[in-house]
Amino acid sequence: MTFSQEIKDKMVQFAKEQSQYYLDEAEMTYLEKLRWKTGQTRSKIAAKLEKFKGRSETALEAQNDLLLYMSDYMKDLMEKGLSEEEAFERAKEELEYRSESERSADLHERFARYYEMRDPAEYEAIGLFYAGFLFFGVSIGALIGYLGGGGREMFLTDGWIDTAIGAAVGAVIGLGAGLISNAVIVLKKK
Amino acid sequence: MYKGVLEGVVLEIISRGETYGYEIAKKLHQMGFEGLAEQTVYALLLRLEKNRLVHITKKPSEMGPPRKFYRLNERGVEELAAFWARWDYLSGCIQNLRNSGRDDGDLQSGNQG
Repeated sequence: MTFSQEIKDKMVQFAKEQSQYYLDEAEMTYLEKLRWKTGQTRSKIAAKLEKFKGRSETALEAQNDLLLYMSDYMKDLMEKGLSEEEAFERAKEELEYRSESERSADLHERFARYYEMRDPAEYEAIGLFYAGFLFFGVSIGALIGYLGGGGREMFLTDGWIDTAIGAAVGAVIGLGAGLISNAVIVLKKK
Repeated sequence: MYKGVLEGVVLEIISRGETYGYEIAKKLHQMGFEGLAEQTVYALLLRLEKNRLVHITKKPSEMGPPRKFYRLNERGVEELAAFWARWDYLSGCIQNLRNSGRDDGDLQSGNQG
């Protein structure tokens, strides 16, 4: 099974373009990929890759490998009933370079940044703010409820309900204040 | 799902006899690795070559450029052995977990009875 000249030319062009990306990927170490993504020593890595790609033999080999792989795949597709053009389009779609490492590097970077920014003291402070405001809210709310309900005499009859309501409202106010302090700490970090 | 496993699988395929890129992809499909992207094997072979785990023989092809045939070299054989050692350890751990889960289940159902 042979291909038309037009398709052959397209295949060669595709292999020439795409093999370069695969070659870069294979040549870069994981750390280099991370640095590449973060922009550090980009020029240094680029220079190294250029030097590597400059060795035309390596680049040409990668191109030929992709060309042969593509032709094998297309022949397989054509045996299954696809036309030459359809097989080419499908192979092009399947073999187009999509970097997995870029995504994982991205994720790694985000994790690294998160752990870098993470300060245990801040989390402790946030927790203390919540607890402090909650205690304040409950105690002040309960006191207002207790006094507003008529003090000790009324508490022993039906006045305890006012104290309970005051404590509950105080707890909600305390939580609200805790949330605000949390937000303030987060915004300060930005 | 195949991350970290595929390289070992490809090394195993190559260890069974001289083979070339697309033939490896076909074998993988036959083995049931259906969801594998076509570009994966090509990229992986480039990596194996870069890491000097394979010996390459070039033979003429009908397309013009020579076709690369892969065989494991000494480093490749060592890497494959290391892969199977890691695999045995991991699958042992997972099997233990599975069995201990079943035992716990049996115990719980036994206690109920």
